[in-house]
Amino acid sequence: MSSIPDAIVNQDAKFLTDNAKRRKRLSLWFYFLCVAIALISVVILIVLMVSIWSQGQSRLSTDLLTRAHSELEIERSGMWPAILGSLFVCGTCAVVALPLGVGTAVFLEEFQPTNKLLRWIHGFVQLNISNLAGVPSIVYGLLGLTVFVYMFNVFGQIRVNESAGMEIMGYKHFYQVLTLEPGHVVFVPQSDPTKRQTTFDEPFQAVDPDGNPIKISIWTPGTPKPSDPAIRRQTVRAGAIGGTITERNWYYFRLPFDKSFLSGGLTLALVILPIIIISSQESLRGVPSSLREASMGLGATTWQTVRDVCLPAALPGIMTGSILAMGRAIGEAAPILVVMGAAVAKSSGPKHLMDDAVTMPVLIFNWAGRQQDEFKELSAAAIIVLLVILLLLNSTAIYIRHHVQKAQS
Amino acid sequence: MFLQITSRPMPLNRKRAIGCFALVSSLLVGMVGCGSKTETSTTESSGAVAASNLTGTIKINGSSTVQPIANAVKEEFAKLYPDVTVSVDGKGTGNGFKLFQDKETDISDASRPIKPGEFEACKENGVAFIEIPVAYDGLTIVIHPKNDWVDTLTVDQLKKIFVGPDAAKKWSDVDPSWPNETIEIFAPGTGSGTYDYFREVVIGKSEDALRNDMNLSEDDNVLVNGVAGNPYAIGFFGVAYYEESKDKLKAAKIVNPKDEKAYLPTPENIASGAYAPFSRPLFIYVSTASLPRAEVATFVSYFLENAPSLCERVGYVRLPDEIMQRGMKNLDEENAGTHYIDAEGNSRSGAVADIYQPENLIK
Repeated sequence: MSSIPDAIVNQDAKFLTDNAKRRKRLSLWFYFLCVAIALISVVILIVLMVSIWSQGQSRLSTDLLTRAHSELEIERSGMWPAILGSLFVCGTCAVVALPLGVGTAVFLEEFQPTNKLLRWIHGFVQLNISNLAGVPSIVYGLLGLTVFVYMFNVFGQIRVNESAGMEIMGYKHFYQVLTLEPGHVVFVPQSDPTKRQTTFDEPFQAVDPDGNPIKISIWTPGTPKPSDPAIRRQTVRAGAIGGTITERNWYYFRLPFDKSFLSGGLTLALVILPIIIISSQESLRGVPSSLREASMGLGATTWQTVRDVCLPAALPGIMTGSILAMGRAIGEAAPILVVMGAAVAKSSGPKHLMDDAVTMPVLIFNWAGRQQDEFKELSAAAIIVLLVILLLLNSTAIYIRHHVQKAQS
Repeated sequence: MFLQITSRPMPLNRKRAIGCFALVSSLLVGMVGCGSKTETSTTESSGAVAASNLTGTIKINGSSTVQPIANAVKEEFAKLYPDVTVSVDGKGTGNGFKLFQDKETDISDASRPIKPGEFEACKENGVAFIEIPVAYDGLTIVIHPKNDWVDTLTVDQLKKIFVGPDAAKKWSDVDPSWPNETIEIFAPGTGSGTYDYFREVVIGKSEDALRNDMNLSEDDNVLVNGVAGNPYAIGFFGVAYYEESKDKLKAAKIVNPKDEKAYLPTPENIASGAYAPFSRPLFIYVSTASLPRAEVATFVSYFLENAPSLCERVGYVRLPDEIMQRGMKNLDEENAGTHYIDAEGNSRSGAVADIYQPENLIK
């Protein structure tokens, strides 16, 4: 008798119902609290969207989508080069980060360490990734600056008038010489790449922009100047200086990468790599071990198991993580500013692998800080465009994921 | 059973995954092609009008204040010379000079003259340059239109209002005849060049900060509305912005310490140098090593010819013709060096018309 608690022995019906009511009320309150908390984020999002929409919708025009930043015709400024730039940078980022991230996750999850050294490597990599996921992106910007932009100066520094780094392919050097006709130049193919400038005193052979050879004569100041434009275009002043210009094919490749979109994309790849690795690890961990054991039991190697069992089963999860990571990459401004600078007036997308680019977040950042009201409205409109593009990319990825999932089941 | 179900779709999946990857990469490669294709088409169309085949790349970095002017020049230049690539970045005057010393840029934009240390570093690295002022930037001290007690302000009075922890809390602390009301201050953020510039004029070279109970904002609209909303408020920002909000605010006349007269920040007073000390010249520094290149030479002369009209269109004040002429002369004769450092290696300060003289040029 004594071992039964007092509350149970002396319970009465009224106390019980009161207590139950109280607990249920509390539970209801907690439910409302949760709903409120969930709503707060939705409300903030809606407020944000409405305010941006009301600020920017008047500037949503075809000009915004097709033209470049303009200082003189602000109302006709656009973000086409920034859209292209962002796609290039994020494309590079995806091509690099996805295989690397998934590969690392497979290594960490599927290839269990068998000896002490391997175990140590495993632990080391795992520890680093967990830490890297929390590093602010601006730090990656500084890392990208030394690793990709300058490459520790191992391949030489890129300096105007002196050196263009270690050029590997897709380039042709010319001397550019002004002719007597203003604004018209001829080109002389360069034989000695270390000689960045040359002087012309004798008649010489040059090529026009289409590559056709033309004979160039020399005009000495003091003698009568030719007046026919056609002849003036084939005459240069004695002592004219030819400076180096470089004709670059789209596959122009050079080390170090300098402030190119490749540097930006690779830096962003570093930013999102930990996110991809961790989410891929999580989804690989979610694959039931019975599947693995069955595959192994039938004599499949680890590689075969990973390829045919684990990866396909984990693919939806991996893709979800990758979509989130790419969303972060397309919106990053800080590391891009450090690595690629803020040359927002660029009028086209990248033309070769080493070309610089302007991205949407950087353009928005620049516009939002301008004095003119037009630029502020434009930045709001650009945010809308950025959100729409993000949404489009994400829904494409989600569509692909569904497709893959369906094919699997 | 199980194997049959799972192993079937696997090769399909692998193909799909490879397909996706190929899709993404081909998209990327396709975009490279597309980017260059659109470029050539625009080049051809505008090239037919301009008929110039000048090409090349010009790298510009430096002051974000000068960046809009350089962007404007680039924009007009590109209409005549569509094949020349001009990249205009704005990392700040100091960072710009650092890149300039390292020979990473052809032209450095600056919202202040080069400092002795930067000049020494340029000399050590063998970077010679031509210094050319291109426009004026002015700073406006604004008050509420109903503020009838302040007509003129001296630098000393501004010091009382803006500097230190014991700065004036009320207008009557500055001048006993002014109302016994609290001063509310609106100023640009500490990261802006405008803040630095104001600090340097009012405090000088010391590392003191302005008082810390000001309303700071990077958004000039906040400053305009703040001052316009309180008769006892005061604030400052760039002259370009005051022009756009003249109907809401009043600019205070500033007493020129040299002739003791007060001047309004009108374009005339800024151009004549009378609106001192709150007007500053903006510069470009052109590397002499880059000048032999046809594209750089063409761009810089185009810059100087068009800077007066273009700088006004982006909100700055044009320099007097006389100073522009001196700049062009320095460019033509390749007179390298700075005017803002004396033989002992100290900075000179004063009006650009007095300092930008051939006899002050130091190599």
